[in-house]
Amino acid sequence: STLPAVAEELLREIKKAFEESSHVPDDLLLGLKFIFGPSAVPALDLVDQRSVTRVIAPSGRTLYQVLGSSGKLYTCYSSCHFCTCPAFGFSVLQKSESLLCKHILAVYLSQAMGACQELSVSEEQLTNILLAEEEDEG
Amino acid sequence: LCRGGLAERLCRLQNRERSAISFWRHQCVSDDKTPSDKSSVLIVKILEIFEECTIQVAICQQLEQSPVTLSPEDAVISAEEPILKVLFTKETTAHLKSRPQDVIHIYPPWQKLLLQNAGVPVIMNTYFSRKVLLSEHSEAREKTSGLTKMLIRKNIISLAQTFRLDDLDDKLHQEPSDNQVACAPQLHNKQHPLALSAVNDSLLDMVESQGAVGWREVQVRVVIQRVYCLPAREGYRSHTQGNKPLCATPGTNSDPPKVRLCLLVQDAYGMFSEVWLQSLSSTDDTEQYCRRWEGKSCCLAGMKILQRTTRGRALGLFSLIDSLWPPVVPLKVPGQSQDSEMMTTKLPPPSFCYILTVQSGEIHVEVDEEEQISNLYQPPAVHGLKEILQINECNERCSFWAQVLYRRLQTKHNVPVDQRDILLFVTDSTLQNVVHGIPKVVAVSVTASCVLGMEIREALSAGSQLVFFKDALWGNGRIICVERTVLLLQKPLLCLAAGADLSKLTGPVRLDELDSTTQANSICALRGTVVGVNESTAFSWPTCDRCGNGKLELCPQDRELLYCNQCSEVVTTPVLKMQLEVFLSCPSRSQSTVKVKVWQRPAQFVLLTMLLFLQTYEVQSVLGKEVGLLNCYVHSVTSHPNCVALEEIVLL
Repeated sequence: STLPAVAEELLREIKKAFEESSHVPDDLLLGLKFIFGPSAVPALDLVDQRSVTRVIAPSGRTLYQVLGSSGKLYTCYSSCHFCTCPAFGFSVLQKSESLLCKHILAVYLSQAMGACQELSVSEEQLTNILLAEEEDEG
Repeated sequence: LCRGGLAERLCRLQNRERSAISFWRHQCVSDDKTPSDKSSVLIVKILEIFEECTIQVAICQQLEQSPVTLSPEDAVISAEEPILKVLFTKETTAHLKSRPQDVIHIYPPWQKLLLQNAGVPVIMNTYFSRKVLLSEHSEAREKTSGLTKMLIRKNIISLAQTFRLDDLDDKLHQEPSDNQVACAPQLHNKQHPLALSAVNDSLLDMVESQGAVGWREVQVRVVIQRVYCLPAREGYRSHTQGNKPLCATPGTNSDPPKVRLCLLVQDAYGMFSEVWLQSLSSTDDTEQYCRRWEGKSCCLAGMKILQRTTRGRALGLFSLIDSLWPPVVPLKVPGQSQDSEMMTTKLPPPSFCYILTVQSGEIHVEVDEEEQISNLYQPPAVHGLKEILQINECNERCSFWAQVLYRRLQTKHNVPVDQRDILLFVTDSTLQNVVHGIPKVVAVSVTASCVLGMEIREALSAGSQLVFFKDALWGNGRIICVERTVLLLQKPLLCLAAGADLSKLTGPVRLDELDSTTQANSICALRGTVVGVNESTAFSWPTCDRCGNGKLELCPQDRELLYCNQCSEVVTTPVLKMQLEVFLSCPSRSQSTVKVKVWQRPAQFVLLTMLLFLQTYEVQSVLGKEVGLLNCYVHSVTSHPNCVALEEIVLL
């Protein structure tokens, strides 16, 4: 497949540009729009608002929590592309219309620009976050 | 959307792009000829199409020239022609309706992306594309094929395929600009040079080019004009309005109110900025930072824009900025060479100011303490109190030395002691040496927003102090200490002192005498004769001589003795405290009834009076007694009835 490699390269370019000059050039922003479509602007907005937190446990297990615009907290996995938001379930899983939802894109962009908040939790707390999602769906 | 954020910027770019696309499409329809400028047009022939998500991926062959003149049979795949992967969005795909063997012209600004593993180059931003029909034969084919729907393979992307943003091999990663086909847009915008070592000297430049996400390695050189502490309010956060952590943070209610060290800095172009640094748990360090940092140059790095504030919204901040305007050296002019400088006397003071803060908990303020004081620095102009009282303008920042004579805390009991307003009565030699017209003592109100260090607080309660008030506010006949005012015990290194050494007082302190102009909440001295005693409010009570506890109890064992439950001991020598209201006739204010209350440790006169009174319970015994010069605090002055209520005080 082509698109993931293209998306990855684009995000790397953004990271590189940001590390060199603390600035993301216009053409990279437009590239984001081209590849990710309607998710691009909302994802950038989540980054502007510092909505992404990397949650890390002593074992090294991590996950991401993104505060959505509605005030709801969504969980994104770090080992695969997964998000608990309904848009992910619909656009990515069901319709295969998008690569990512805006929350996962916001996670990558926050990584690229060093805008992730950090939160250290215990193993138990991390497990609870993951289990809580299950309970909601169950 | 955040103002100045990336989302807002992309929105703007996207709108512009959309207009450009619709304009271009319209132009294409009306003008079917090939455009004159063919240098940057990418010409491709589609070999294979498939879909991933909503993006159409076309494996294409790049053609050297428009094969209008060639017949379809000539356009054969040859091994030398480069292969490209061209991506089209859903909308472009619907517009093009392309099929294998179609020739597409892609107009700029398209973008080329080279992948890490050097596969086939990828072409993006292909909004400006149109199909070119090779001949009449293909036109006919186009019409018929348009009716049958083509089946396109759709690749399902695995969720397990995540993106790795870390470069494993930095050296192998080639700069896209080296490998690009000569074409107008470059994917990697190299307009911004590496700023790791570059030190900028313009705050405005940095703010405007970096946006709200923050600056990383960029540094700005500024001069520290003032150092002070601001109360750190919990709710005042920047873009972290999002993230509520799952686990509870340790309770902050029991912590003492936090205080934040702040700098007011100015760049070579005259622009000011307030920089919020770390929280200080004790404010003893403020004096040190003031002494070491004020007037020096420093480099700011890793700052984040908290707010852009204006004159109307931050009166306190701008009154301080106004006191530093106009600058004492000519300013640089943006956009012009460093040699040309502008005269600053006619420049209006700034109307906006950026408030910056540190990113990610690290402080990036490099102050060169060894360096000399900068020319741009304006130390506080010290004046005598007499001069300050004669200032006509309102909300002027003023600095002065003064002896603190008396301190009074406001009496709101629901407010913690260290957050209450304090009233200080101060004087200096310029006021003491005056005969008429100007008060000898001035009241300075210290509000809770003016941060006082522990040292100063203790010193003020211990005794009379000589205090330097830096950047207090004068207005409406009052001096107040607010946010950004600093009270110091030690002399700052640099002051512009007008005239003689204002700090020494010659002779004992004199207060204004009680007269017809005396107002409430002031202090004065009075003399008079006792004309009456308020018998109903007179009483005395014993207090513990160790701790001052006024609520002594009778000893359970021996009802003759007194017991203090705070010290948990018997009080053998209690201190007698008295409350007595005495009416005086004062020649300096003969029309008023003067009522003086004593309820502290009694001073000379009252002791005599009280003893006489208590012994005899005869008002006669105290009537007519002369009262010497008594220092008092004026509680209230009423005109109907004409009465002045005072309280005897002891000066520090």
